[in-house]
Amino acid sequence: MNLDKIFNPSSIAIIGASEEERSVGEGLVKNLLTSQKKIFCVNPFRKKVFQMDCFGKITDIKESVDLAIVAVPAPAVLDVIEECCQKKVKGIIVISSGFQETGEEGRKREEKMKEIVERAGIPLIGPNCLGIINLSNNLNASFASALPQKGNLAFLSQSGSLANALIDKSLEFNLGFSKIVSYGNEAQVDLPQLLSYLQDDKETKAILLYLEGVKRGREFFETAREVSRHKPIVVLKAGRGKVGEKAVSTHTGSLVGNYETYQAVFKQAGLIEVDSLEELLDIGKALSFTQNFKNGIGVITNGGGLGVLAVDFCEKLGVEVSELSKETKEALSKDKRLDKILIKSNPLDIMGDALSERYEAGLRCFLGAREINGVLVMQSTQIMTEPIKNAKIIGEMKKEFPAKPIVCCFVGGPLVKDAVAYLEENRIPNYSDPKRAIKAIKSLILCFQ
Amino acid sequence: MELLSFKETKSLLLKYGLPFCETEIFNSLDKAIEYAEEIDYPLVLKVFGKDIFHRTENEGVVVGIKNKEDLKREWEKMDQRFKIKEGILVQETVNGRELILGMKRDEQFGPVLMFGLGGIFAELYKDVSLRLSPLDKKEAEKMIKETKAWEIIKGFRGEGVNKEKVIELLVRLSKLAEKERMIKSIDFNPVMGNKKEVLIVDFKVAI
Repeated sequence: MNLDKIFNPSSIAIIGASEEERSVGEGLVKNLLTSQKKIFCVNPFRKKVFQMDCFGKITDIKESVDLAIVAVPAPAVLDVIEECCQKKVKGIIVISSGFQETGEEGRKREEKMKEIVERAGIPLIGPNCLGIINLSNNLNASFASALPQKGNLAFLSQSGSLANALIDKSLEFNLGFSKIVSYGNEAQVDLPQLLSYLQDDKETKAILLYLEGVKRGREFFETAREVSRHKPIVVLKAGRGKVGEKAVSTHTGSLVGNYETYQAVFKQAGLIEVDSLEELLDIGKALSFTQNFKNGIGVITNGGGLGVLAVDFCEKLGVEVSELSKETKEALSKDKRLDKILIKSNPLDIMGDALSERYEAGLRCFLGAREINGVLVMQSTQIMTEPIKNAKIIGEMKKEFPAKPIVCCFVGGPLVKDAVAYLEENRIPNYSDPKRAIKAIKSLILCFQ
Repeated sequence: MELLSFKETKSLLLKYGLPFCETEIFNSLDKAIEYAEEIDYPLVLKVFGKDIFHRTENEGVVVGIKNKEDLKREWEKMDQRFKIKEGILVQETVNGRELILGMKRDEQFGPVLMFGLGGIFAELYKDVSLRLSPLDKKEAEKMIKETKAWEIIKGFRGEGVNKEKVIELLVRLSKLAEKERMIKSIDFNPVMGNKKEVLIVDFKVAI
């Protein structure tokens, strides 16, 4: 089914529109008003909503409506959906809860709703969701509490509340989104359909996914495997415990639990699995800001400790720290700015008293080296360290060597805050801990394969 | 969950070309002795029955039976210990490394195949890799290489295991899982592997 009019509608009806403070109907209207699209409010109990005329039913609207957003109490939803079909809308989003998640009555209601829209051939997202946001055309068809920045990541979330939290958090991470979809119960439009849609979406570079479970496992697996060949998919899976699983009396049964199966599915389909929200955003940032690359990194650090921590995680995660070639060693030796550095190896420890010129010299050599495919620049804050100057040099180097990704690990607090802001404004991902930096690098390498 | 009988299991393994060690089931000691002379000692005795899941804990397995006297003595004991059973298995002794292969039919994803380090501690070590079926040779090889059992196959402190035969076994297990939809789960533990052969020694097929 064509999802285009859900993501790119020219006219939108909000059924259940309201101006009652802190209501879902109010949230939807307020967010949609920022979209600068043609909006119709529908609510039989109101004459006006925010000075706009209110219609009793969607069929009372004379003009055509592309997208209907439904936020009425569950028992009223089916009638409203029938009216949307009569109105021949091109897409429906059902925000309302009170369906499959509530028991038998809700399950039947959801079945019926699916039947109605499928007969009419209209795609439906939800129910029990937050709505969708399409940053590429300024559409906020959700009651999300914050608006994310525009960018190249798509986020699909089975949970609405989690989508809210992640949007807010993303602002702190300097992350931008192309599309955000809280897809709820998947009554009609399901996860595989959304993944396929995003595969062809030019605005989306990588997909972040929050999942509790899938409905049609085989279809999810096959679609995810196909989509991940074109775009990276990072997945966070909740619900990993063994509680609720039947007691088993075979070896295979006890070794192959529900979560273990999901893990195998993700791996086989080429998805990157993460453990936490922070990691989801960390890896999202790397995929959003920079390009993937072949295994083999160079590490530059002004502190031995940071370098060792990085190498430890490289070893653990299978990230190769490249052996330097004769040419690279010579190039490092020729540069007078590095005269004080006696050991010219990888990681390159430019020592605690390093000023920016040493960073520049080392980075230039590494970015020019054939054996190095990406560089990790680490910085601890000594009394003479110049964080802002270092960040600016890295920014310039990124322009000069666009083919080689740079990932930073500026560790610290207030002393590095401005430098980190500068790096990320220039789309150089920074991580405040070596472990997080190496995990992000690992995901870039995984995507290359 | 119910286990297939020995006869049903055996014909299933034969149908899909899954190699297993010399094994026969008996209810009479005389016939067991006859078979024992044919395949030669040392032998293994195992109780087999649809409801018998945990044999090791309940002394349902005796290894290292060297001669007729051993066989008689152990047979009597086992026969007494397990009143309800399909019979007692007489098996040849196979030397090699212990591997585990398995299949579980998932409601969402269909057959999930498993490979790893076998033996009675398999669940403790949890050194297994999983794949959705169907499986080709390339994917089966990747699966093997994801586990520590790979080091053992390569020959960690020993002669190693015939890799190609392990791959073949996995691919055939996948074919079985695709075709026999009634079967809910399969346990091959241990599968004994050496340089020459890879043989299923213990099997549980549940429907």
